[in-house]
Amino acid sequence: MKRLNNKLLLIILLIISGYGIISSCTHKDQVLPAAVSTAVKITRGNHVHLPGLTAGDSTQWKFDKVHSAVNWSTPFLEVGANLTGKFNQFGVADLSNNTKLQNYSVAGQPLPDTSWAFYESQPEKSHFAGYVQINTINTGEPGRDGGCLVTTLATTKIVPGTQNLTVTNIAQIKTTSVTFDPAANDYIVVFNFTWQGGLASPITQSITGKLTYVPKALVPSGAYSDFGLRFEFQINKADYGIISTETADKIDIVINANFNNK
Amino acid sequence: MNDSFIAYIQQLELIAFFSGFPLVYAIVQVLAGSFQNKNSLVNRFASSLTYAYALIGLLFLGFQLKKLYPNYSISGINAHVQHPYLVIWALTAMLFCIPMLAKRGRLALFHSLIFLIPIIPDLFKGNASGANFLQNDMKVYGSSLILNVTVIIVIVAISYLLSFLKKQLRSD
Repeated sequence: MKRLNNKLLLIILLIISGYGIISSCTHKDQVLPAAVSTAVKITRGNHVHLPGLTAGDSTQWKFDKVHSAVNWSTPFLEVGANLTGKFNQFGVADLSNNTKLQNYSVAGQPLPDTSWAFYESQPEKSHFAGYVQINTINTGEPGRDGGCLVTTLATTKIVPGTQNLTVTNIAQIKTTSVTFDPAANDYIVVFNFTWQGGLASPITQSITGKLTYVPKALVPSGAYSDFGLRFEFQINKADYGIISTETADKIDIVINANFNNK
Repeated sequence: MNDSFIAYIQQLELIAFFSGFPLVYAIVQVLAGSFQNKNSLVNRFASSLTYAYALIGLLFLGFQLKKLYPNYSISGINAHVQHPYLVIWALTAMLFCIPMLAKRGRLALFHSLIFLIPIIPDLFKGNASGANFLQNDMKVYGSSLILNVTVIIVIVAISYLLSFLKKQLRSD
């Protein structure tokens, strides 16, 4: 009797198990989840930022020079780790027509930083122009910055209280086209880079760089908004008559520009 | 029953540990009945069933402790245990290592049948989600069969080893 009960139990359990296995068998190959896309996800908004100088007008965006930087880096002695530095004085003004190239006896920005416009979804409308004062180069070594580098870069020493925008002391950029970067959430910028350097007169080269937009956002205090532009490109200093083995010819330049609507 | 996803996962855990036991029990008992004391190996399997079941209970306890680590507080246990009565019932499986209960194989069988109950409703759900539930149940049920077979083989192997050692000691 006991054996019969065990057999009955076995039969019942086998029926249940068999039915479950047969019912759960769909005769279909299990579809694997789609592979994770490795493509770059590009999302762009429709922000439009236009310059202005009216304080308190939140529709006008002002260049925040104090919180911006023009940095450069190049291998020391052409082979070493990077030597880095920045320029203390720079601006977003168009100097390409040469009429503004002079010394300005001011402590702050010599010209309005309004030579730019940024359209997030219409890059063809975006443009910018800017400059650096070469003699304000800053590597953190005063003896070098105000000494041998001034000679190497073929410019003149800083005159206190003067913004030197003369032709030998400025390097300037001016965009000629801005397009979407198809491979990233960035923009491809073609621009003219003009610098005299060690040459007899300035030359202009067309260079391509990458522009990254840091979207508009309220600052933590909530008092105003801020957006950023990061622009990266490379120049060859030998093209501008700067002959020195202290550094490599290729110089990487990164511009981090912040704008606010205070 | 809490029908959250975590509760469902815990139900699958219970099925994974205990639902395979009834079928293993039935197969071993039928084989033992067929050989009728002629095969000591099958009889050894039959007499080891309850110990194997107790070991399954112990493994389940270890698994739960591992999941609770390092928060063994009451609040941690409360948050983790979604089927408290079923979990307590599952842990009582360890009691079958007590010799008095170890002789009552049928009791272990009835004890383990509780864990087959959650599978039964899924057998009769006709819709697509029911099929997915059943697929899960059957995969876990299959794993449970493998676990229960493995455990009883381990128990039998240990019992043979102990017998061998006892004989060795006696002969010395």
